[in-house]
Amino acid sequence: MKLLRTLIGVVTACLIVFCFTPAALAFCGFYVAKADTKLYNQASQVVIARDGNRTILTMANDFKGNVKDFAIVVPVPVVLKKEQVKVGDPKVIAHLDAFSAPRLVEYFDADPCAIMQRRGEDRVMSAPSSQSVNESKPRRGGNLGVTIEAKFTVGEYDILILSAKESGGLETWLNQSGYKIPSGAKQILQSYIRQNMKFFVAKVNLAALKKTETQQLRPLLMAFESPKFMLPIRLGMVNANTDQDLLVYILSPKGQVEVSNYRTVKVPSGDQIPVYVKNEFGGFYKSMFQTAYTKEGRNIAFLEYAWDISNCDPCSAEPLSPEELKQAGAFWLNQSSPNRSSSNSTFITRLHVRYTRNKFPEDLMFKETPNREQFQGRYVLRHAFAGAAKCEAGNQYRKSLVQRQEKEVQTLAKLTGWNTQEIRKKANITQAPKPFWETIWR
Amino acid sequence: MLKLPYIQLPQVFVTGSSFLSRLQDSFLKDARDYQILFLAMFLVLGIGTRDWTLHPELMLAIFASCLLTQLVWTVISDRRSIPHLQPHSISLNLRSAVITSLGLCLLLRSEHYETMILAGVLAISSKFLFKNDRKHWFNPANFGIVAALTLTNDAWVSPGQWGDEIWCGLLFLGAGGIVLKRVGRWDTSVAFLGSYAFLEAVRNFWLGWTWDVLAHRLMSGSLLLFALFMITDPRSMPNARVGRLIWAVSIALLTFFLRNNFYLSTAPFWALFALSPLTILIDRVFKANRFSWSSLTNAKPTSLSSHLSPNH
Repeated sequence: MKLLRTLIGVVTACLIVFCFTPAALAFCGFYVAKADTKLYNQASQVVIARDGNRTILTMANDFKGNVKDFAIVVPVPVVLKKEQVKVGDPKVIAHLDAFSAPRLVEYFDADPCAIMQRRGEDRVMSAPSSQSVNESKPRRGGNLGVTIEAKFTVGEYDILILSAKESGGLETWLNQSGYKIPSGAKQILQSYIRQNMKFFVAKVNLAALKKTETQQLRPLLMAFESPKFMLPIRLGMVNANTDQDLLVYILSPKGQVEVSNYRTVKVPSGDQIPVYVKNEFGGFYKSMFQTAYTKEGRNIAFLEYAWDISNCDPCSAEPLSPEELKQAGAFWLNQSSPNRSSSNSTFITRLHVRYTRNKFPEDLMFKETPNREQFQGRYVLRHAFAGAAKCEAGNQYRKSLVQRQEKEVQTLAKLTGWNTQEIRKKANITQAPKPFWETIWR
Repeated sequence: MLKLPYIQLPQVFVTGSSFLSRLQDSFLKDARDYQILFLAMFLVLGIGTRDWTLHPELMLAIFASCLLTQLVWTVISDRRSIPHLQPHSISLNLRSAVITSLGLCLLLRSEHYETMILAGVLAISSKFLFKNDRKHWFNPANFGIVAALTLTNDAWVSPGQWGDEIWCGLLFLGAGGIVLKRVGRWDTSVAFLGSYAFLEAVRNFWLGWTWDVLAHRLMSGSLLLFALFMITDPRSMPNARVGRLIWAVSIALLTFFLRNNFYLSTAPFWALFALSPLTILIDRVFKANRFSWSSLTNAKPTSLSSHLSPNH
């Protein structure tokens, strides 16, 4: 019986978003907060907090169009009750983003002539971060094979939980009910129906939105239990011609999470680059990411951050408070249930996936591991000593500085694919050190 | 098996040609040498071209624990069977221990020595503890992986580590083909991959996914590595061809079931572990049925002993 229940109950934590306006269709992934700095044009953010089969999934909402046009369709493993859905605080996701974002670290060279070696003051700069209830009984949606399993309002959202027998009926029902479904979605809807998924449909309740303080769309959280640990990306790609960025923050009491059906690769990290990059870090990170993405074959997930969330070194933002973590879904914190081992530790994995239809044929599957190895996307700026340094050590230092700066130029060019001449110009390095043979026979 | 006293290392370096001929004579005669060669190549390739967090010291721990356990068990079992035997003439099955070590290095991940040592010790010990008529109940590397996953809290397997690149798949298929041709056990891999692909294809068709979804699921480097280098261990598979086919198809069925109903990305390892002991039963059934299958059973079991014996 348990097996049967598992078989029936297992499906997924899936989200897909259909966008209603033509402009929205281009995004057609999750509708979530983009980079504060608009680093990525089409970025979605999702937080998954998971312990065992228990999952709390948060979809950030950064819909920029007219709110009355907003709607999402999300396949879910089970019929969700009102108690399983809530609206969250967008600030928590912004904080998670800032905390885990790739970062720049600055060091300052000490005076080479000083007897005491002072360690330069280290500064950290964060990367531009990516940044009234109506419940009713199940109702039949005519003879289309669509059943409204639940209907309720949470915060500013009107939510329907649908089950369907076949995709044609579901498509017709959604279209008749005013939801514009992109053409080509029918086939993909069918496969989710056959996986016994239900559909979580949300649109904005304008009256409820007016009553909210900020009148902004807040993130949607849903809690459920399922052995399937995945994110569907296929529906989001139905009408998308370009690549889309997805940032997944996964919280786990155990350790790192990796993608089990694509490669998980660490983003290049730890390199020393010219100091001027400080002023264009966003551009640097974008180019570097694109270069690494192309080099790795465009079908991988990048690991940008993996760390115990209670600390950071260096910190790009203050660690999240236990209260914020609970708001982000870390339900195991201070849980005093006698059946479960209470755990106060939370490990965060930040995965950045840039996907296209041809390189990502399958939905993303995740795997939790006990790996607690820490990793961060970190780039080092090293400021030269600006003083006179009139001593032998000073001369040595100046010589090594030229070599070091040239190396930084080469590293930057390799990471980003930028032109070395232009980098030298911007870095204010007049020219590369000449090879010794260029001057000896003149 | 390698007889320790016969390793005459100094002579190997006399001349280049004698080295090569000696290498050919002594090294690549055994199918397991090819297996060692390819597994070592995959390991180098994985570390070089893939983003693996493999620590050399942990790999060393695996090798040391596997080889030492092999030595200890060999001494114990040889003393038990032939008490008057001198220690120096003990035949040490180094190849098998090296293959197990390489398999564990390729597949098992952990941050701690203890876990790796436990996996190595249990993997090799399983050969000596769970055996029957020169056959192992379990594939040693598979046993080590399952033991580490169940007995410790810090072991894991990364099924996505190879990705799904075509060159990777071709490399595995090519290398696996060579090894399997030498062992004469290609039918197991074909039966496993064939039936698994068939099941996935039916599911894919039913769900209405396009065929690139199926290709992506089947081109997984980890799946191919498993099909070509793990379930092909002649010591833990049934002797009769029909038995092997039933065995391989059962593993495929269980893998498919675990992967699609319990969403276990490590399904093949659990399926092999659960069904490995069936070999004993299958061997009994198909041994009795000599009339129908004698031609098939006799053809390969002799080759099994020839491949695994020290001086055939």
